[in-house]
Amino acid sequence: MPFTIALVGNPNSGKTTLFNQLTGNHQYVGNWPGVTVERKTGALRGDAEVEVVDLPGIYSLTPYSNEEVVARDYLEHREADVILNIVDASNLERNLYLTTQLMEFGTPVVIALNQMDIVRKRGYEIDSAALSRALGLPVVEISALLGDGIDELIDAVRSAVAAGAAPVPCRFSSELEDLIAHFEADLPASVEPDVKRFHCIKYLERDPRIIEEHGTIHDLDDHIRAVEARFGDKADAVVANARYDYITGFIDRVQKRTAPELSATERVDRVLLNRVLALPIFVLIIIGIYWVAISSVGSYATDWANDGVFGDGWFADPIALVNPDASVQAAYDADAEPYDEAQAAIAEYLAAAQAAGIDTTAVEANYLAEPGEEALAAMGEGFEPDPDSDAAKQALAAFEKQAAAAGIVAEFPAIDEEEATETDYFVYYGAAARADAEARAEARNAEIERDGRADAAEAVAYSFDGTAVDDETGEEAPQGIGVPAPQDPSAYGLWIPGIPVFISAALEAVDCVPWLYDLVMDGIVAGVGAVLGFVPQIMILFFLLAILEGCGYMARVTFILDRIFRRFGLSGKTFVPMIVGTGCGVPGVMASRTIESESSRHLTVMTTTFMPCSAKLPIIALISTAVFGGTWWVAPLAYFMGIASIVISGIILKKTKPFLGETTPYIMELPEYRVPRLVDLLRSMWERAWSFIKKAGTIILLATIVVWFLAGYGVYEGQFMWVGDELADYSLLAYFGGTFAWIFTPLGFANWQAASTVVTGLIAKENVIGTMAVVFSGQGVAWPTAFMASLAETAGSAALVQVAAFSFMTFQLLCAPCFAAMGAIKREMGGFNKWFWAAIGWECAWAYGIALIIFQVGKLAITGSFGLGTAVAIALIAAILFGLFRPMPQGQMEAAPVEGE
Amino acid sequence: MTLNDIEIGGSCIVTKLNDSGEIRRRIMDMGITKGARISVRKVAPLGDPIDLTVRGYHLSLRRSDAANIEVTPV
Repeated sequence: MPFTIALVGNPNSGKTTLFNQLTGNHQYVGNWPGVTVERKTGALRGDAEVEVVDLPGIYSLTPYSNEEVVARDYLEHREADVILNIVDASNLERNLYLTTQLMEFGTPVVIALNQMDIVRKRGYEIDSAALSRALGLPVVEISALLGDGIDELIDAVRSAVAAGAAPVPCRFSSELEDLIAHFEADLPASVEPDVKRFHCIKYLERDPRIIEEHGTIHDLDDHIRAVEARFGDKADAVVANARYDYITGFIDRVQKRTAPELSATERVDRVLLNRVLALPIFVLIIIGIYWVAISSVGSYATDWANDGVFGDGWFADPIALVNPDASVQAAYDADAEPYDEAQAAIAEYLAAAQAAGIDTTAVEANYLAEPGEEALAAMGEGFEPDPDSDAAKQALAAFEKQAAAAGIVAEFPAIDEEEATETDYFVYYGAAARADAEARAEARNAEIERDGRADAAEAVAYSFDGTAVDDETGEEAPQGIGVPAPQDPSAYGLWIPGIPVFISAALEAVDCVPWLYDLVMDGIVAGVGAVLGFVPQIMILFFLLAILEGCGYMARVTFILDRIFRRFGLSGKTFVPMIVGTGCGVPGVMASRTIESESSRHLTVMTTTFMPCSAKLPIIALISTAVFGGTWWVAPLAYFMGIASIVISGIILKKTKPFLGETTPYIMELPEYRVPRLVDLLRSMWERAWSFIKKAGTIILLATIVVWFLAGYGVYEGQFMWVGDELADYSLLAYFGGTFAWIFTPLGFANWQAASTVVTGLIAKENVIGTMAVVFSGQGVAWPTAFMASLAETAGSAALVQVAAFSFMTFQLLCAPCFAAMGAIKREMGGFNKWFWAAIGWECAWAYGIALIIFQVGKLAITGSFGLGTAVAIALIAAILFGLFRPMPQGQMEAAPVEGE
Repeated sequence: MTLNDIEIGGSCIVTKLNDSGEIRRRIMDMGITKGARISVRKVAPLGDPIDLTVRGYHLSLRRSDAANIEVTPV
């Protein structure tokens, strides 16, 4: 027989756990009120004809919040054949309050008495038979967690459906009953007869939804006044009192509670919520989580995912976890790094020699690991490189003689993107060139020191073919041609190739056309791989947060912090997304779900990504080292700007119309602590990580393809063609970036390169630095230098480079987040609706405004020039100050009178 | 006397709710009704909100809301 079960109960009563037991589903479970915000449906395990609907947890059916509206609408329309009311036995009185309301819908009710195990553990008794008699409803003892009593519960539900008998609503005091009975005669005809009592009570409470549906009734005010006069209280209070009086009337017969001694929860709270210790403990816990998930384990896992799984490959080497210096990877790097350095030096030296008219063909073909196609072609068909052959050695000797005579010194910068450091090489061969190279390196070092770039760069002289004494070991080590190639990684240990290696091999095996190969490898694999690389970090963070949520601490964090955040018009729960957001904006935005009030939640979603996430760190590192010479205050200031942006936005937006009058009071249940089950923790972690992975496979995939295309193709000399890095100025990206670069004129960085990093940063903020390295390279100087030179041009003066760079950083940090985070915002806002666009619009406008103020005020202070931009900056500052200090509009006071402190 | 005046560790019986609208309904739904017995257990580190037990469970409230709940100490 097909029928529908509506699962209803208080928040945090174990409803979702029971739902999972009934349906075999794997919904996410937490130990804080409000985990289920939408209704979920599943088929009863073993009987596909029975539908189970999991409604959001509610305390009452007076709709304040979305969850309560969802639940009440469903019950009022009587779509369910039976209401399965899950009651937390350890919190019986308050749970039964909802039960008294459920009895009035005319739908059969079955009580599932949950958490009886906790009740017994605490040493008090509940007589479920007596409860059943008192309520006139079937009561089944269960433990949703352990799966006890589920079969009996399903049997009870089936027989209740078969009987189909509506419950008898609870009886109030005879005086109140008389008044209600008197009232029934005046009900509108549209009210069905078996729910008359429910409607009487709702009219008595002046329930706006009921009045809207059925219209007001004759003499409603008189009826209500009669009740209020009789009981000396507001009508809705009379009803609420009557319900609790009904419960207290029988509760002592049902439950025997011993005098409340100090429970385990209270003992824990004595420490965790201690007036002195609570805040320090909270800070330590947050730092600990952040440190583990982002800095230590998390960054290790992300490096592994980025460089290993989505890179060339990795060594399966447990030592690396304990002592990275003794790992196989370290041994391999010790051999591979000098070789990579030598190969780069050889290539640059050969290029310089070729430019000087020296023939480099044979040397390039034999000694360069990846020789150019021209050199290979010149060596003829069937040529195999062999550096040890006599022919190769002769060619090398001849070349070196010529090159030394020409006194060639090749200069090139090598950038370490991870550390944001730069090494300038001066490659030489022969004694004369050596002296020249060393002198130039020394001069460059002096220059670097003078410019205050000591942290970011150094210069070295490097031999094309010779030896040098290693500064650290004191040993003589080969340089250039003499550096041996490392063995295959598999010779060092168990080497597992990365996914790109497999994909590349597969594409080569099927003779894939070059453009498709490039698209897959440089576009999709690189872009999507970079994003998926963050999955381990995200999983660790979610796991740790799931522990906090599952054990019941999260609810207490809001208790600790409510006082602070109330000042900003936000709730205590806002802090959680902020903290999570410093790791990654995606989980940060998702964490906003813990906030009950819709307006506070929207506000939090809009502002969370102002926090600099880990992907924005390289931007901060670059600006603070390359532009500000490693000054200590740039990086902390970047974080402070994030926090300040959240707070100031909160204060300003809270006074605007969409956020008015929706301040939810802080009335929060603090649940009992419990030890979370590992399976629930893993489930919670996986559910969230999976949605992140899905996003990487959709929106990010699409975006990377588009950017790859725009950066790679362009129109050169009237021809649409592949332009690559060499002709990057002609790429579609350059054209595209050029069309809107003017927007950034008042911010001081209006060129197509900077503009295009704003766009590629939307794919992933890591792209900002990556794109800068591409678009500013190839100008004969290190790319950070080229970047600064370009800023001198766009800002209009060399004195304004630092201001423009700071403005650039500010804009990048505060503007719309990456697509993945935008996807999360879209989900939390419920689609591409006005909230989503308001969030993106606010973030962009805020970033633009703050960057503009920084550049224009800096410009005024340094050059003293006052222009239109300066006027706009002053107007913006005035607008922000107005938004901050204007009084709360009147509407707010009327809607939430209690807010006035 | 209001709930806000009760010392930590003290208990009281609710006599009247002066809040209005949604907040009052919410407070009543959570079990704070006329005649309910409340114990004040803890206060948050910054002095607000406070943690109570009512009807056998822990509930936290802001002081501004507690000040609208009239009680008799016991």
